[in-house]
Amino acid sequence: MLKITNLKAEIEGKEILTGINLEIKAGEVHAIMGPNGSGKSTLASVLAGRDIYNVTGGEIEFKGKNLLDLSPEERSREGIFLAFQYPVEIPGVSITNFMRAAVDEHRKHKGLKPMSAGEFLKFMKEKKALVELEAKLEGRAVNQGFSGGEKKKNEVFQMAMLEPTLSVLDETDSGLDIDALKIVANGVNKLKSKDTASIVITHYQRLLDFIVPDFVHVLYNGKIVKSGGKELALELEEKGYEEIKKEADKK
Amino acid sequence: MSNHNKLTKENLLALYNDSKSYISDSESHKKAIEFINNNDFPNSKTEDWKNTDIKKITKHNFTIYNNQSYKDKINDTFYIYDLNAIQIVFVNGRFSPINSNIEEINNSNIFVGSIKEGKEKHPNIFKKYYNTTDITNANIFSALNTAYAEDGAFIYLPKNTELEKTVHILYYSDGADTKGLIQNRNLVVAEENTKLEILTSYHALSYDTVLNNTVTEIFLEENSNAKMNIFQGEGEGAFQLNNLHISQQKGSTFESNTATLCGELVRNDLVVNLNGEYCQTNLNGFYLAEKEHIFDNFIKVNHLSANCQSNQLYKGTIDNNAIVSFFSKVYVAPDSQKNDANQSNKNILLSDYAKVYSMPQLEIYADDVSCAHGSTTGQLDKEALFYLRTRGISERIAKTLMLYAFISDVIVKIENKAYKDFLFFLINRRLKQEKIEGLCSHKICPSC
Ligand SMILES: Nc1ncnc2c1ncn2[C@@H]1O[C@H](COP(=O)(O)OP(=O)(O)OP(=O)(O)O)[C@@H](O)[C@H]1O
Ligand SMILES: [Mg+2]
Repeated sequence: MLKITNLKAEIEGKEILTGINLEIKAGEVHAIMGPNGSGKSTLASVLAGRDIYNVTGGEIEFKGKNLLDLSPEERSREGIFLAFQYPVEIPGVSITNFMRAAVDEHRKHKGLKPMSAGEFLKFMKEKKALVELEAKLEGRAVNQGFSGGEKKKNEVFQMAMLEPTLSVLDETDSGLDIDALKIVANGVNKLKSKDTASIVITHYQRLLDFIVPDFVHVLYNGKIVKSGGKELALELEEKGYEEIKKEADKK
Repeated sequence: MSNHNKLTKENLLALYNDSKSYISDSESHKKAIEFINNNDFPNSKTEDWKNTDIKKITKHNFTIYNNQSYKDKINDTFYIYDLNAIQIVFVNGRFSPINSNIEEINNSNIFVGSIKEGKEKHPNIFKKYYNTTDITNANIFSALNTAYAEDGAFIYLPKNTELEKTVHILYYSDGADTKGLIQNRNLVVAEENTKLEILTSYHALSYDTVLNNTVTEIFLEENSNAKMNIFQGEGEGAFQLNNLHISQQKGSTFESNTATLCGELVRNDLVVNLNGEYCQTNLNGFYLAEKEHIFDNFIKVNHLSANCQSNQLYKGTIDNNAIVSFFSKVYVAPDSQKNDANQSNKNILLSDYAKVYSMPQLEIYADDVSCAHGSTTGQLDKEALFYLRTRGISERIAKTLMLYAFISDVIVKIENKAYKDFLFFLINRRLKQEKIEGLCSHKICPSC
């Protein structure tokens, strides 16, 4: 589904991604871990098409297409979803109007007719139930005045609305209380199928108890320096990154 | 004439050939002429006119339309669904009864009509109020209006009356091939305990260069309540000088909402005098400036008594090479205690060439007052734009959503639902850059 080959990206002349290789197949869950500032969010942003990052080398192939040729909106319609580490507040734009516009565009892309107002509200209600999003949030402006946890839930709600094939969750667990974590993880698991895949960026094993990864990768200095199964996360939890860092710095 | 292609004071006066005034008495007329003789066109050195490029206007030489009422029925007049208003129509500054609809006034003591007629019908009211503000001396154009305006609207509400329907005043220009100077002179008198709502809208019937010079005086007596919506959607070749003076007495409330959507140069001068205690005034407005538009709002609110409140909220977007000014001064007179004044102006620049001059100012001579003013000018939040796009929303729609939300803050303040819905519909289409011909303005659309 996704194939990243030797991806390099920079911002303001500073190289952040220094050669990433990663292949993800349908049905898989990949966890990406790594110390602060290693480039995890940068990778997520580059996948979503953020233009402040300059891709200086490498390729990204998504469902047979060259992802780097596509605008952020086209990537979304093709099935990529990024749950932001820091969701953006958009004053005055209601979640309903926002999701309506997004769902309309996705449907148009699939050659489907726009939903009627009634259908849309019903659809939204279903998806809200999935992430146990409080009703009062929907009348409000996108993320405006939301608590940290509400923002994260809202990301998963949007993911549920857009039914992506590849979702990238950037620290969706941070800031969530233990109940909310379960709800969010549950939501993500319900959306999982043999045709979809996810990249879960996290610092904590805790989330991976709920969303069990098939692979765990460690990103350091803009490169994947170690990959393994779900047991790698447990090992990291215990030992931290020191050893891996040393090893990588030697090379 | 030496200077044929340029507007001068001399050829402006010559247009009227020393004729008498149609509305003003000879004393007012004489004073207005004197003002014109003693002053020049405002220029870049004139206070408050630094950013209004008056040369845009004076490079044209204008003529006046022949002195005739517009007898043709205008097809598809500007129409707002469900507005259900009393309609009074002026074409080229003259009342056009055939296009108006003022029969449905619930109270026969109320007058809604042309100022020429109103002056005859209510001579004492006219005399008591007309030209009693210092609006004539605002500038040459307002003086010219006092000297030579031929017609305009007159609304009079006697004590304890209420206009149930909105009064919609439509100003059309139609000058096929003439660069016309149009003058409208309006007078609104609301006596004690009255209530009214006015919508004024400006439209063009043909693609002409017109100069629309409108002067309006509004008098709100004790405990009266007036709302005024101003819709500026004249053609791209239109110049509009809109001079509005509100005089409020104790316990009165005024609210305006000015929508500026097109015109080569639109300047709104708005002066509000809060003469009595417990007055409230809310001045709101939005503008969508693009191309080479010059849109200016000059506001002066004078708190001349204790316990008054004024609020201002102006927001707009500025694209291409457009230039926008917001100059607002709140003055609180000595001993006018317990006044509350808020000024807010917010702008979004959509191009590197667009310009904004924003200056909310306070001039306070009383100590027990609460005043706040703010001005922001920035670009669309790029992070927010990216966020919306990652959900599959095109850049254009994402911008529309954000700008719509930005402008909505001003529109939601409008009480009249029909007009509010119309504006929401209109700006949504306009922001999406969809054609809206025939909708926002008769024949000529402000966005096409
Ligand atoms: N817009 C930017 N301008 C300048 N530097 C940036 C920008 N975005 C990221 N960087 C830098 O790139 C590096 C990687 O940042 P990134 O956000 O990808 O790290 P991360 O792995 O997600 O860290 P964390 O675990 O703290 O979220 C950091 O050194 C960061 O300062
Ligand atoms: Mg990060």
